[in-house]
Amino acid sequence: MLNYVKLEATRMLRNKRYIIFVVAFPVGFYLLYSNLWGNQVDQATGVRASVSLMVSMAAYGALAAAIMSTAVPWSQERQSGWLRQLQITPLPSWMIIVTKMISSLLLVLPALLLVVLAAVLTQHVSLPVGEWAALIPIMWLGTIPFAALGLIIGSLVPPDTAQPLAIIGMFGLALLGGLWFPIDMLPQTMRTIAHALPSYDYASIGWEIVAGHTPPASAVAGILGWAVALCALAIYAYRRATARV
Amino acid sequence: MNAIALTDVSKSYGEVRAVNGMDLTMEAGRTVALLGPNGAGKSTTINMLLGLIRPTAGRIRVFGRTPDQAVAAGDIGAMLQEGTLIPELTVRELVDFVRRLYPDPLPLDQVLQMADLTSLASRRSDRLSGGQTQRVRFALAIAGSPKLLVLDEPTAAMDVESRRAFWESMRAYAAQGRTVLFATHYLEEADENSDRVIVVARGKVVADGTAAQIKAGAGGSSVEFSLGGQSSAGLDALPGVTGVTILSGTVTLRTADVDATVAALYRKTTLDVRDLRIGGVDLEDAFLALTKSAEA
Repeated sequence: MLNYVKLEATRMLRNKRYIIFVVAFPVGFYLLYSNLWGNQVDQATGVRASVSLMVSMAAYGALAAAIMSTAVPWSQERQSGWLRQLQITPLPSWMIIVTKMISSLLLVLPALLLVVLAAVLTQHVSLPVGEWAALIPIMWLGTIPFAALGLIIGSLVPPDTAQPLAIIGMFGLALLGGLWFPIDMLPQTMRTIAHALPSYDYASIGWEIVAGHTPPASAVAGILGWAVALCALAIYAYRRATARV
Repeated sequence: MNAIALTDVSKSYGEVRAVNGMDLTMEAGRTVALLGPNGAGKSTTINMLLGLIRPTAGRIRVFGRTPDQAVAAGDIGAMLQEGTLIPELTVRELVDFVRRLYPDPLPLDQVLQMADLTSLASRRSDRLSGGQTQRVRFALAIAGSPKLLVLDEPTAAMDVESRRAFWESMRAYAAQGRTVLFATHYLEEADENSDRVIVVARGKVVADGTAAQIKAGAGGSSVEFSLGGQSSAGLDALPGVTGVTILSGTVTLRTADVDATVAALYRKTTLDVRDLRIGGVDLEDAFLALTKSAEA
């Protein structure tokens, strides 16, 4: 298993698309935005924009990493014959999807931590230890529904379709989840949609933590609900994709 | 115990019967060719043997176990017809990953050396040529030191030189007491690299034996000579002869007993025999004859 996780991580860290979308974009945007508006302070919460931007961009990077490390690679492996190559080794079938999930979680870390590092180093963001200790693990494990979504895409469609779907999913979730700009700026209907999305729940938890609040139960329930639903769907789609008939 | 035993195995896709009542047993330690034209059911048979697809009917055993159990135990290694590698990884990383999935693998260096990949070990798999990729896929198949090696048209993408080198590697692996089953539609390959040939057509075994037996079963060898203007009367009555064809003054006799036919040609006829040539019927003819009769 370790051997397999290592293989998956190695290959993604050498993948240009992963590096650009997942590592360069969020860090780059964080540096840009925080330089422009970093010192603005939110009237309602008293949180500096450099801090809430850190949460937004870390959330975006983590979400992108979770989807990009799963959807297209997995779809390609199914189509290219690599899946069959694995199916004729002693590797148990369930281990493939479990490894994909674990590797995806690992690959989320660079995106998440680099944005945080950029925030600490360039904007001198500092949070109480308790907030860091809550923020990082929650933002890390909160990517499980997105990794599951990526696996669903990878199981259901060929690479040609998985690629645009993954990108639409990634930007759609980021945009409507309020990671790029506050969803208050959106029209009412889109705001309603946004509130239902896992990315909004996910980022909200982060924003609440850095504002010194306990994350709202609705957001926690939302992300847990999404996690359960998408993981169940991912397992179903995986079984369908690997069924031997 | 047989390495492979298929009992009345069938596989249907809707109306199409890809494999149709296949019976086949194979002892351990042999190298067997599964020979047949495209669409004969070779790949379907192999995929069932590997547990990748399920038979519609019949029973399959690999070393006495179901294909799934044999795969899980690491008894089988295979090179399937298609398959690309993970582009970002090197040859060494890929081979080492797969060999570690098996309970009792070969040493990494030995696998690389047997597949002639030592000098390519640190190359990324997206920078390999077609033939080199096939060698990596062969390395993946043998890396776990499987008792049964299955190769589905392994040389399809190779040039002549790569083919020769490939079969040498295969023989070296087989020589260590392993069982090898390979599918091919190249008749020469079956003849040169196996000690038993199973001819498949229309989802069934139509002939089974050594390459020599297969040839004999389809009319043996051929004797060819220039007849010029002489009469061909009586040639079909010569000992062993099973068929006579005459084409622009050249006679081709098909014979089940080439020695008797040639002896009689000189002793019992008054023909002036010129340009005598004896050919094994090539396996191609044998194969065509066999698969044709299966279609009839």
